Amino acid sequence: MKNLGRILMVEDDAKDVELTLTALEEYNLANEVVVTRDGQEALDYLYRRAQYSNRPQENPAVILLDLKLPKVDGLEVLQQIKADERLKMVPVIVLTSSHQEKDVLRSYKLGVNAYVVKPVDFHEFVNAVKELGAFWAVINEPPPGSVRKA
Amino acid sequence: MIQQSRSRGKAASIVLPVATAAAAIAIFVVDTVTGVDVAVAGLYVVVVLMAARFLRARGVMLVAAVCVGLTALSYILSRSPSGNPAEIANPLICVVMILLTALLVVQAQRATAALQEQASLLDQTHDAIFVRNMNDVITYWNRGAKELYGWKAEEAIGKNKQELLKSVFPIPRDEARGELLRTGRWEGELKSTRADGTEVFVATRWAVQRDSRAQPIEILETNNDITDRKRREDEIKRLNEELAKRAEGLDRELAKRAAELEATNKELESFAYSVSHDLRAPLRHTVGYAELLQRQASSSLDDKSRRYMEMILESSKRMGALIDDLLGFSRIGRAEANESAVDLEPLVREVVAELGQDTKDREIVWKIGPLPVCYGDSSMLKVVFVNLLSNAVKFTRIRTQAEIEIGCTEGRQDQAELFVRDNGAGFDMRYVDKLFGVFQRLHLAEEFEGTGIGLATVQRIIHRHGGEIRAEGAVDRGATLYFSLPRARVQERVGGNTQ
Repeated sequence: MKNLGRILMVEDDAKDVELTLTALEEYNLANEVVVTRDGQEALDYLYRRAQYSNRPQENPAVILLDLKLPKVDGLEVLQQIKADERLKMVPVIVLTSSHQEKDVLRSYKLGVNAYVVKPVDFHEFVNAVKELGAFWAVINEPPPGSVRKA
Repeated sequence: MIQQSRSRGKAASIVLPVATAAAAIAIFVVDTVTGVDVAVAGLYVVVVLMAARFLRARGVMLVAAVCVGLTALSYILSRSPSGNPAEIANPLICVVMILLTALLVVQAQRATAALQEQASLLDQTHDAIFVRNMNDVITYWNRGAKELYGWKAEEAIGKNKQELLKSVFPIPRDEARGELLRTGRWEGELKSTRADGTEVFVATRWAVQRDSRAQPIEILETNNDITDRKRREDEIKRLNEELAKRAEGLDRELAKRAAELEATNKELESFAYSVSHDLRAPLRHTVGYAELLQRQASSSLDDKSRRYMEMILESSKRMGALIDDLLGFSRIGRAEANESAVDLEPLVREVVAELGQDTKDREIVWKIGPLPVCYGDSSMLKVVFVNLLSNAVKFTRIRTQAEIEIGCTEGRQDQAELFVRDNGAGFDMRYVDKLFGVFQRLHLAEEFEGTGIGLATVQRIIHRHGGEIRAEGAVDRGATLYFSLPRARVQERVGGNTQ
């Protein structure tokens, strides 16, 4: 069930994971989320390596990517995704605390689909995550080869 | 020694005239008595020559006249009665010879006197002057030379100049000599050695003397002692070098300091940024979980507990605002300024419109402009007005009718002075210095909310634009903030308007 998620979330902060999932619960999207805790695990998931070697072949409908990650950082994950013929169609949303212009610029240069700064205000945060989830996982038509809505 | 030579001179001055007189008498006696005639009278020439040794022109002429007289007397006394007319020719020839000799002697005396005068004049000057022939053998040496180098004329004359003075030349000696022969003169600075072995720096000027066939025969050399000047020059040079070295050291130190400062500044900026950045996450969590708890448990909480929850949320939000302001403040320092002509009037109206949300329940009289076109980063300038105008709105909350004026004073040609004036709570001028400090506040949070970063940010932006900011106010009498910004030049203004 977990492996069938349409939303791949790459987030090292456990509290952010919980709060994001709580926000997505309101749209009943929480159980569609696959959580990976660092860049390496995210790539393992996408390339079906290590513990994910047995998962079905479909791509997630959207990737929520934090930039500050252990092992392989977010920008590097983004670069690999966008350089891969099979993965580059998957929408990637950078969801980060970083306002930094150079992060924004590099993300867009690498082909990110959206860049969202996590708001401090919880309401705003919840709204942002809900809207993101709703738009990319529900409203948006994902590219062929993505996990379909169950 | 001197005494001796003087007495010798005295003796000579007596002997010579006596001998001269004796010679004249002897000639007269022989001439008159013997009648040997002309040949004897011719010897008066010797008398004149002898007289020239100790008499001046007038005396010589007198002696010559006496000799002529004696010749004539001899002729009259020894004249033969036959009265041969040819006999008169001989004494006449003698007279002419005597007079001619006297004239020549007087002339020669004059020439010698002139030369002596020149020589003594050369001795008057303090410059060292000497003459050497083309083999560098010294032929003349004046008193100045003696004083400068310590050798007397008789010691120096006849010596080789180079061997005597051991001069060190700034250029090879042959080159100096070559230039002298080519152009007739040479000038330079030499280091020479005195008689006592000490060194002396001289400025030397050489002039070459040529004979009628243009062959160089001697060299006139004038030397000036420049040891003191040289020493001062060397001292100045040394001081200059030291100064240059010190300046270089200072420059290096300054550059190092500047680099260090820049590094520190960057470090501080990135520190401020990451502090603000990393502080956001736990804060977000605090607010998030507190809200979740509030939602989950509000029904089972009593009033006191609910208030505690509210306080947690309120404080967290305040911290969020602080962090956001701090982020903004640190971003001003790091951001690249993107400067262009900015028309302030539409910018201010835009900000006022954006503030409309917070002011819809208020009665505010806005007085805007006319405002100039300035040169700066439009987004930063907008931050300035957002801060100043929201401050004005905030501090006039206590008035039933708020008045906020944004205007421009005369200011300077290149800088516009703008002001934002309100009739709000004002402030005590005693604390005006604290107004622009980060986290400095003059009001309690219960009276007027705020983070204390707004005016610090404004000041930073104004300073980055090369302007100044100051505040005037009084408690309960409102406040006015004055700040200056560079005016846009005409061509930029045109560019700015067409944008």
